[in-house]
Amino acid sequence: MAKIQITRVRRLLVSLDAVSFLSAEIVLVVTALAIYMGGAFSKSQKVWAPLAMLGIVLAAVALSSCGSNERYLQEPVRAMIQNAQGGMISTDDMARQIADRAANSCVLPDHLSAYGRWLALAIGAVVVLMAWRPLATGGTAEYLGSLLLIVAGLMLVASAGNLVLLFLGLELISIPTYIILPMGRRDAASQESAAKYFFLSVLASAILLYGLTFVYGTTGSMQLDVIRQKLLDVRFLPDGFELFAKLGLVLVIAGLCFRVTAVPFHFYAPDVYQGTIQANAGLLSVLPKAAGLLALVRIVLFAMPDMGPFAWKVLLAISVLTMTLGNVVALWQDNVRRLFAYSSIANAGYMLIGLSVALAMPHTPALWNGIGATFFYLCVYTAATLGGFAVFAYLGRHRQQIETVEELAGLGRTHPAMAASLAVCMFSLAGLPPAAGLWGKLLVFGSALNVQDIVVQGSEGSLIRPWFIALAIIGMLNAAIAAYYYLRIISAMYFREPLATPRAEGGSGPYLAALVCSFMVLVFFIFPGPLMKRCVEAGSRELTSEVLAQEALHNGPHPIENNVALNPPKP
Amino acid sequence: MAALLLVTVFLPAAAALLVGCCGQNQARWLALAASLATLAGAIALAVGFQTGDVAFAATDYPWLAATGLPLDIRFNIALDGLSLWLFVLTALLLVVAVLISWEAIKDQTSLYYRLLLLLGSGMLGVFVAHDIILFYLFFEFTLVPLFFLIGIWGSDQRRYAAIKFFLFTLAGSVMTLLALLAIVFWVSNDGGKFTFSIPALTEYLNQHPMPMSMQAWIFVGLFAGFAIKVPLFPFHTWLPLAHVEAPAAGSILLAGVLLKIGTYGFLRFSLPMLPEATAASMPYMLWLAAAGIIYGALVALAQSDLKRLIAYSSVSHLGFCMLGIFALNRVAIQGGALQMINHGLSTGGLFALVGMLYERYHTRRIADFGGIAREVPVLAFFMVFMTMASIGLPGLNGFVGEFMLLLGMFQRAWGGTVTESTLHYRWISVLAVSGVVLGAWYMLLLVKRVFFGSPRERKHAGHISDLSFREVAALVPLCIVIVWIGVQPKFFLDRMAPSIEQLSGAAIRAADGKNGLDPSLAEIPRKTDVDAVKFKSQSRKDAKTQAKAAEIGAPHPTVDRRATNEFLPRTGARHLTTALPLCDFAPPRDFPAGRADSRRKSLATDFAFASDGKDSDYPRAEIARVP
Repeated sequence: MAKIQITRVRRLLVSLDAVSFLSAEIVLVVTALAIYMGGAFSKSQKVWAPLAMLGIVLAAVALSSCGSNERYLQEPVRAMIQNAQGGMISTDDMARQIADRAANSCVLPDHLSAYGRWLALAIGAVVVLMAWRPLATGGTAEYLGSLLLIVAGLMLVASAGNLVLLFLGLELISIPTYIILPMGRRDAASQESAAKYFFLSVLASAILLYGLTFVYGTTGSMQLDVIRQKLLDVRFLPDGFELFAKLGLVLVIAGLCFRVTAVPFHFYAPDVYQGTIQANAGLLSVLPKAAGLLALVRIVLFAMPDMGPFAWKVLLAISVLTMTLGNVVALWQDNVRRLFAYSSIANAGYMLIGLSVALAMPHTPALWNGIGATFFYLCVYTAATLGGFAVFAYLGRHRQQIETVEELAGLGRTHPAMAASLAVCMFSLAGLPPAAGLWGKLLVFGSALNVQDIVVQGSEGSLIRPWFIALAIIGMLNAAIAAYYYLRIISAMYFREPLATPRAEGGSGPYLAALVCSFMVLVFFIFPGPLMKRCVEAGSRELTSEVLAQEALHNGPHPIENNVALNPPKP
Repeated sequence: MAALLLVTVFLPAAAALLVGCCGQNQARWLALAASLATLAGAIALAVGFQTGDVAFAATDYPWLAATGLPLDIRFNIALDGLSLWLFVLTALLLVVAVLISWEAIKDQTSLYYRLLLLLGSGMLGVFVAHDIILFYLFFEFTLVPLFFLIGIWGSDQRRYAAIKFFLFTLAGSVMTLLALLAIVFWVSNDGGKFTFSIPALTEYLNQHPMPMSMQAWIFVGLFAGFAIKVPLFPFHTWLPLAHVEAPAAGSILLAGVLLKIGTYGFLRFSLPMLPEATAASMPYMLWLAAAGIIYGALVALAQSDLKRLIAYSSVSHLGFCMLGIFALNRVAIQGGALQMINHGLSTGGLFALVGMLYERYHTRRIADFGGIAREVPVLAFFMVFMTMASIGLPGLNGFVGEFMLLLGMFQRAWGGTVTESTLHYRWISVLAVSGVVLGAWYMLLLVKRVFFGSPRERKHAGHISDLSFREVAALVPLCIVIVWIGVQPKFFLDRMAPSIEQLSGAAIRAADGKNGLDPSLAEIPRKTDVDAVKFKSQSRKDAKTQAKAAEIGAPHPTVDRRATNEFLPRTGARHLTTALPLCDFAPPRDFPAGRADSRRKSLATDFAFASDGKDSDYPRAEIARVP
């Protein structure tokens, strides 16, 4: 009895390998704690940002060395080969053992986790740059410490292999967010924004948790891999249990749509963004969205693929509503952060297109399955949005931020570099060359157009295609609508005379962040290949433990290369 | 040559980066040097171009696939007959645009030239892109610099105009992107290669045509982008505003090059890839084109603003181009393609002249001028010259293009059997011809009211100087090319013809089939060729008589044709050649790939304008083939 208990506990707890795998997250948390502690004892406000940046750099080093997938996957193989020196162990045996191990692991060392973790570190680095100057209200140490925890949370979400760790990661994002939201400002608006976010976020977490309990109840497991196998195994599910799984799915989608800011869980975003500082608004508009999307991919796509025929309709409806509402309402916004909030809502809609495609087309090879497109879009959106907020952060004054679009008038003359950066970011969000947003739109809408009528589990396959073509057309019309409000910002910057030169007091941090972001947007336009390849790999569907085992064993051809044939053979 | 094309396309963009680093005065010299070098490159390419080349000076680099991604979007640029002259025209107008802006732009000069050069690279890229996505990237990219040019250096309503221009074009082009992607996916799902290469897609779709329903949807998508860009009649509202508000150089490039991207898109994508849908859309497109011709001309008549008048004349002239393309007749399409160049030259010149007038008189209202030919005789000379080119005076370029496309349109209307659409075509032909008259009316009225008559009193009574050397230098190259096309269109048509025939062949066949011309007929030797040659030798000297002959001869075969055709299905073709004997009606299907043959069969050689005497043996070759 006791032995069984111990085995169970060992499965859930982390092994030494997993500790090494999670070393990047650990570095971040330790740095965060150090900053928290230091902040209690030191009055200096200036050392924390460099320290936080150091933490992120160290985490990146850890991630590329002892925390990397390759290492985690290679270690057991080496160990087994060593163990098997005396006796004989067949490749099949080894593969089975590794697969077993991967299935029971609390972390998933796959391309998706690598993608999410690097994205988290990149977001963290840019936001730390944006918050380089000490906060006007004090509390810089607490602010930066919480920021690092949020980044660690996203990394956990990306690599979590079971529901507990996944939820833990999501909460590690939410709870520090409650702390940082009211910081940097002391007015009624910031209090309101923090309170609003707190209550709604807690509610969303509760809904998500409720949904996860249904998933657990249906399958009896927390491991994503096990859930997947059990749901796919028709014999396993007793009659009626499918309903529970569906209920769980809907609740999970609802809970995560809050993080993604999808309609109808979006309405907090404009108020919260408006009531907080630029760095927070930037963080909120990208990081929870990334976490929500990664969790959606992990749970809905990866663990519950058999729910696809039902789930794609839900996501398609949400996606259409989200992008249309976001874009149309954004047309009337004057406040830059409100405008960006609606822009972030609209972009969430585009990203959900990819997920909907992925659910509807379970057998499309990696390139056009929609997930890779969503991930690429997310990267580009992140760079452009953070770039925009970095420009606003740079232009702000002490205790007086950039609020309205009119304040940007004449920026092309007064701050040419910042104006150019913001213009590039706006073009990217609008999906126009020369900026990477165009590739994102191309992949997302391309995957929607490429949806074929295939027979999915019997009868209802034939009606898929028109829906997705309509989705692509609506999405494209939305892109044209969206161009208006992005152009409005550019038009204010370049086509109007400066009203009063805004004294830019953001300092060099946001300046650098803005330049880096807009530069990345340009680079991804000219050389989208490498990033696109990683995103498509992250979105390739063959991420079961067997594939991980194969990869560990042979380090051979990656799934993506096996899938070059784009068209499934015709029946 | 491949390297030369690559350099020519990106030279302006590279110079734009440099311009950012130098001062305001050096900026314009650098821009001039870069644009002249680009023009030199373009001319060198044109000299090296051999008739019949379809992928001249090609550069093909796996852009995205280089990293192992199975997404084979390539950086593939090359010239073919259709793009060659548009490419040279772009380079030429870029030089003109830089020269025109020399004194006019005082504010933020370095940014201005940077954007102008970027726009130049974008426009050159559109015409050479042989990858569908690359085309779209350049296509969209051209919007961005022009948006800034209008918005920063435009006149009073510039912000509104810039945003309206941008959104109108964008709204259409996003649909175009979907349509282009749909083509790619259709081909790959149909069993073809997953490719974005335009020649490969065209080739595949020629052999495995899409079903009509699919073609129709994709056609609508392409139409959304290209028709707005052209702009075809009901979608033209952005154009006058953008033209009026844009700085002179912006107007030149907008009218001269950017509008052509729309017609170019139809020729490059709709005709070869969606031939049946194109043929089915013919009556609608032709009506829209005719409506644009008449409407543009009538509205131009009523304008009091110089720029607005020329902008509406563009609507009218682009209607002619569309009419030529969608008449789906060999002569008409080549006329339409030539008219694209012609309009770029003459309207580009007109906008440049209006810019010069504005610099001197600070007004664009026609009523403020009058009798200024005394003050600025050189300017007046160029204005009259450009006007004549624009209204199609024989001997200048406009005549050749308009005549060819109207001739083709008349063949379409009066050739073939009478079908449901024939009556439409006849009305459209008549309306289009009346558009020529209207065009002459408003342009001559403009010249009269501005340059002749009694001088008005002016507010700015300073000394008005005539054109400077720089301004003359900007206009003279345009005039030379205008005359050149006017007297020797063969030179230009010869190089265009093979590509255009290749691109439009399928659509012409589809249209012939639809309109009672059995495409298989064309392979049968034509009895009437002997008569045709007789006719030709009589009237060769005077092109005008031919036009008349076309009109007079046109009603000739109406003698109860429907009844005859039921028994003798070939009469349609015979009537056609009797009525309009000057056109070689051999179908493009049997168009030989070899250069010598293509030369012999190309329309230009056959066309009586090119009466330089050398082709006198050509009709005999035709006769020899008749059994």
